[in-house]
Amino acid sequence: MSAVLAPRRRELIRAAAERSLTRRRLTGRIAQGLCAVAAVAAVAPLVTLLYYTISRGAGALSWGFLVNAPTPPTISGGGISTAIVGSAEIVGLALVLAIPTSLLAALFLFERSGRLAAALRFSADVLTGVPSIIIGISAYTLLVLPLRQFGNLAAAFALAVLMLPIMIRADEEAMRTIALDLWEAGIALGARRGRVARSVVLRGALPDLVTGNLLAIARAVGETAPLLFTLATPLAAMTLLIYTDGTQAFPVAQQTAWGTALVLLGFVLLLSVAAKIAAWRISQRAR
Amino acid sequence: MSADSRRLPRPSTLVARPDAASAVAAGDPARFRAGAPSTGPAVVDHAAAALAHTRATSAAPPALSLEGVRVSFGDHVAVRGVTLTIPDREVTALIGPSGCGKTTLLRAINRLHDHTGGRVEGSIRLGDLDVYAPSTQPELVRRRIGMVFQRPNPFPAMSIFENVVSGLRFNGVRGRVLLRDAAESALRHAALWDTVKDHLNQPALRLSGGQQQRLCIARALAVEPDVLLMDEPCSALDPIATAKIEDLITRLAADVTIVLVTHNMFQAARVSDQAAIFLLGEDRVGELVETGPTKELFDAPRDPRTRDYVAGRVG
Amino acid sequence: MIPDAALGLPGGVDPGSHVRRALAGRRTRAGEPAYMALRWAGAGLFGALVIALLVSIAGGSGQALVHSGIGFLWSATWNPAAGQYGAGILVVGTLLTTAVAMVIVVPIGLGTAAFLSELAPSWLAAPLSTLIGLLAAVPSIVVGLWGLIVLTPIFANQVEPFLASMPVLGWLFRGEAYGPSILLASVVLAVMTLPTMVALSRTALAAVPVADREAALALGATRWQAVRRAVIPAARSGIQAAVTLAVGRAMGESIAVAMVIGNRPAIPASLTAPGATLGSAIVNQFAEASPGIGTSSVIALGFVLLILTVAVNAGGQALLRRGHGTAVSTAGALR
Repeated sequence: MSAVLAPRRRELIRAAAERSLTRRRLTGRIAQGLCAVAAVAAVAPLVTLLYYTISRGAGALSWGFLVNAPTPPTISGGGISTAIVGSAEIVGLALVLAIPTSLLAALFLFERSGRLAAALRFSADVLTGVPSIIIGISAYTLLVLPLRQFGNLAAAFALAVLMLPIMIRADEEAMRTIALDLWEAGIALGARRGRVARSVVLRGALPDLVTGNLLAIARAVGETAPLLFTLATPLAAMTLLIYTDGTQAFPVAQQTAWGTALVLLGFVLLLSVAAKIAAWRISQRAR
Repeated sequence: MSADSRRLPRPSTLVARPDAASAVAAGDPARFRAGAPSTGPAVVDHAAAALAHTRATSAAPPALSLEGVRVSFGDHVAVRGVTLTIPDREVTALIGPSGCGKTTLLRAINRLHDHTGGRVEGSIRLGDLDVYAPSTQPELVRRRIGMVFQRPNPFPAMSIFENVVSGLRFNGVRGRVLLRDAAESALRHAALWDTVKDHLNQPALRLSGGQQQRLCIARALAVEPDVLLMDEPCSALDPIATAKIEDLITRLAADVTIVLVTHNMFQAARVSDQAAIFLLGEDRVGELVETGPTKELFDAPRDPRTRDYVAGRVG
Repeated sequence: MIPDAALGLPGGVDPGSHVRRALAGRRTRAGEPAYMALRWAGAGLFGALVIALLVSIAGGSGQALVHSGIGFLWSATWNPAAGQYGAGILVVGTLLTTAVAMVIVVPIGLGTAAFLSELAPSWLAAPLSTLIGLLAAVPSIVVGLWGLIVLTPIFANQVEPFLASMPVLGWLFRGEAYGPSILLASVVLAVMTLPTMVALSRTALAAVPVADREAALALGATRWQAVRRAVIPAARSGIQAAVTLAVGRAMGESIAVAMVIGNRPAIPASLTAPGATLGSAIVNQFAEASPGIGTSSVIALGFVLLILTVAVNAGGQALLRRGHGTAVSTAGALR
């Protein structure tokens, strides 16, 4: 065999490799540095947000703030209790509607095949991306207008519609990942479908179900736009209160807004961290 | 383990090549390879190539020398005590059952463990360059020691041409003429030029598995390495593609030193000049058991463990 | 494992095959119809809600569309006082704020993802990415509040004059700059979509097989060369999906934008001028809209926004699904 590797080409390549190394390394270091800067820039908003919310909200925070009802602007000692309670009521009501529906719908998707299931799955996927303001408008048109009143019911409805697609897909994923084989085994043993669903699927997937639902709840608690269209007074929910008070020019109002924001943020972050810890614990357990 | 089995190959070992010449002269090529199925023209090619080796490489210094090499991950030692010489422009096979550290050792040679977290001790020299010296640049070492992986891995976002010249571009080679030249040469060496010369801009993933692997070989060859490490390159391929690549390997050895990891004894017998057997020691650590010319290793192994392995009793 | 769906991402699971297998030839047992009816109720309720959503939006817009005709979509004037309703200027505002937000988010998000996935030491990557992920949990109203009270004066007094004085791009930022502006809204949108971009890009990068990186390194590439030339291009479709989904989120965000954009439905003279988007207009105009035509027009704005976001999100999810299949090559086509 002749020496087909032309020596000149070989030498050129070797020289190019050595010559370019310094430049290549330098470019690499600069690029890596920029990426690190980007990562810092990505963390900065959260840090800044936390800093400002805590520093400005802490001033408003007190036991009275949390448990007292709001008072007219000129009277001090008011609090946001109605908003806190209101948010809790609305979300609670929304969960009453959303959790059973999402579980049943998820079981439906999990246990069935065919076009209908595929269509529902697709609509759930699409619905997760619908802006919350549109869901608010929808709730207004469907409930507020015909019933001629705003209220917690309409607000809960809006939040439920918001949470449903997220919960359904999360539930179905959890069931598929964990309970697929168990479900098949149960059915093969001849057990009734409802029994299998209850004892095997739901029980087996429970930790993942809880985690997924926690995240959906955290998201719903922080929503403002749907409430804008369904509630009569900003005192009925924390997020609305922040919006109304925050956009006013009075320092007192803004102070209340920051305080409420701190409470809301604390609660939402707590929920998210709890969900993450639960997820981490689940993944630690050998499957 | 006898110390003899790991002596440096003296010229006399290489002069053992005349077996091939006499085998061809005696009209019985099958005697050259222990236990290898006759594959027709390919065997004659092997013999011819071996003949060329005899004339070209008399007392060439070894391409790679390993001494006391040990690779560990944290507390777990993967392979240890490897002292091995890789002769220049020959095919050296690292054989053994899976899990004995052959691949781990291979990756230590081109410093891939810099990125896997493995710790490499001992000395590895490429010619007179200490691969692990603090002053040695890993990127330059990796250009001189190329690697072909177990599953063909052409860059999916690149065309055939871009894949072949990717190594050159990484190393700062510009010049379209030079790139085109190098690409054609590399593809010819990999026996792929005629298939792809009119399709150089097609996505690389359009090729079949065997073709993709030859593309990867061409890609590795394009940067003109001194050594080519091949990690079970045929394990993901069908028999026909495997045969083509084995043929390629023996032809490539004339220009590039090849270190081939394989768990297939027959492949090693067909293709390699020297072989090194790796087995699991008692403490489940991989170690080098015996090394020597392939023919001798299979016909007359010294170490009892090698004997067991070759006879199929172990591994 | 937090299911992807909880983050609003689609799962790529192949459904149904187990069902057909398990239920083949099975008779319905006693007591099952009740359970199956429950299931139908759940699924049916969900389906009914989806339909109700669509119908309510479309129906609510009916009056406005009849009044203004199809020109509503691009008519450039939004002036309820004068009875002129046109979404065009608002669509422009939505696209503009989204575009500027993407200019900020894509490089930073991709760089962060590359850092977390390829370049950072392992002890740093996990906590850092968790931290960035927490940003996604912050309610939009809190971001809006921060933008309104904290950022507005900073932007008006420092950032915007600084940008206006820049040599090349300064002209983008000249003009009135008293705080609420397209630019500020874009920054707020960037903050809100950054976690999505980082998380999805990081997943895309991590999905690139290790072998691709190693192949590049084995040729003599530096670490950065391997990332830039081998890993990132291989993750291209996943990154595209990330950008698309981030765009979808940015377009739909309304409350935070409404608080910082200044609510002026007119072509902005520069990025520092106030503007308006579909979402912000809905928030700002809803309370004051005159019942009938006014409200219906606001709902029609929602309709336009719905179509836009659904189209973009569907595209993004399709890209994500396609990304799951890139391992399949049309092998053998050149034999």
